Amino acid sequence: MTTKSPSCRAIELDLVATATGDAEVGSAERVHRHLETCSPCRDEYGRYRAVDSVARALRPTPPAEALAKSRAGLESRLADLRQRRVAYRIFPSPLGHILIGRSEHGIAVVEYLHGGSSLRASRLARVEGVEAVPGGEELERLQRDLLDYITGRRRSLDWTLDWRLARSDFERAVLEATANIPYGAVASYAGIARRIGKPSAVRAVAQALRWNPLPIVVPCHRVIGTSGRLTGYAGDKLGLKHQLLSVEGVKLHAGRGDVSIAREAMYALGEGTTEYCLPTCADIGTRSLSMVTLFASRADAEARGLTPCSDCRPDLHPLSAA
Amino acid sequence: MGLQPFETVVTAHHAEIYRYLLRVTSRSGEADDLSQETFLRAYRAWDGLNDDANVRAWLFTIATNLARNYFRSESRRRRAYAGVSDVRSEVDPASPEETRRFHETRALVERVVDGLPLKQRLAFVLRKLHDLEYDAIGKSLQCSPESARAHVFQALKKIRLGLNGHELPMMESVR
Repeated sequence: MTTKSPSCRAIELDLVATATGDAEVGSAERVHRHLETCSPCRDEYGRYRAVDSVARALRPTPPAEALAKSRAGLESRLADLRQRRVAYRIFPSPLGHILIGRSEHGIAVVEYLHGGSSLRASRLARVEGVEAVPGGEELERLQRDLLDYITGRRRSLDWTLDWRLARSDFERAVLEATANIPYGAVASYAGIARRIGKPSAVRAVAQALRWNPLPIVVPCHRVIGTSGRLTGYAGDKLGLKHQLLSVEGVKLHAGRGDVSIAREAMYALGEGTTEYCLPTCADIGTRSLSMVTLFASRADAEARGLTPCSDCRPDLHPLSAA
Repeated sequence: MGLQPFETVVTAHHAEIYRYLLRVTSRSGEADDLSQETFLRAYRAWDGLNDDANVRAWLFTIATNLARNYFRSESRRRRAYAGVSDVRSEVDPASPEETRRFHETRALVERVVDGLPLKQRLAFVLRKLHDLEYDAIGKSLQCSPESARAHVFQALKKIRLGLNGHELPMMESVR
């Protein structure tokens, strides 16, 4: 190889760039001026032009069948992944860090995180067959809705739910019955057991709600013991249950280490009727809570299509709001 | 990236990403696996991607990372250099004599390209075969656009040197 002159060396980078279509306008002009007086560089330029042209021809043309097979394999794996995918979002709330997860079927999980504010603290990280991925803007909207709901600025969440994290048909039946308890109302574990046709399965109902994959949205905080005590919530988070019920206007007695429903301050609905009563109407005040649903306000009861009892007339003698 | 359904991304870019991975691995099996993995990873990250992101460049970045991981295994690297290639390339035939010369030159260039250091080879393929901008190549290779440009320059120089003494196909004359 011949030794290049300093001016040829200085222009080499621009020469390669120009010959291979990569140069800025100014440097290309400089190169072409140089080429007019330098024959070795002209030759070099021609060779780089040829290199560039051959290099571009290295673009492979795989057989159409190979491409189609790869594409089909990908589509099938994507379909499987789409089924298992849950996009999630974690955010702080007055109730602690909450995770919400949405699959293509609907909201699949709402979870109080404890022991961290990352996916590792969530059951999603451990559920087999779930592919948890960070969610985008749509989950931000869900987050706002949920925060509004928790703080009482919104009274309903019209979310489509994905029940697939329910572990059995029984659990799903319990969750669906619980989802039917209206805003501002409470029912008992025994009442839920009756509603799903398994009146003796009270403990199993409580267990199913303990593992509720959709707390707040499936309002297991509205399910209480037949004694009127709040009993458990999401493991050991009884305080959250208290908070959620208070926001909904449910009247509570807070005793020493114990919170119970102020039954005498709530309207009552007996089984098999569509009329709601004052707590003093006939025997409703002494009937087992397994057969009664309690409402914090007339508005909550009437929002469900209930009408005032024609005997005790709660519409004429409403309970004091205090 | 909620606006565009992911299916349209597969439709628009799968073939190109497959070709890229076939070029850099020389193996249709690897191109198949790695291209599928590229899109599965992209799908997982899709929701978090900004609406104004350059999707094509982003896919090349994922594919490049996978290719680099693939080549981290020394034995694989040797196999890719020495092995029988599954790559079939475009031909642009002119006269039979020109076609022969073109084929010979391309085989030579291919051998030099397959022997380039990995970053130079990836930068070269991304720029010359897929026309990616240097910004995007830099992101793919985790280096600056200037370094990406330098990798391509080095690759071209090595290819040029590899063709010393070889008669090249006719190109139009200067100017």
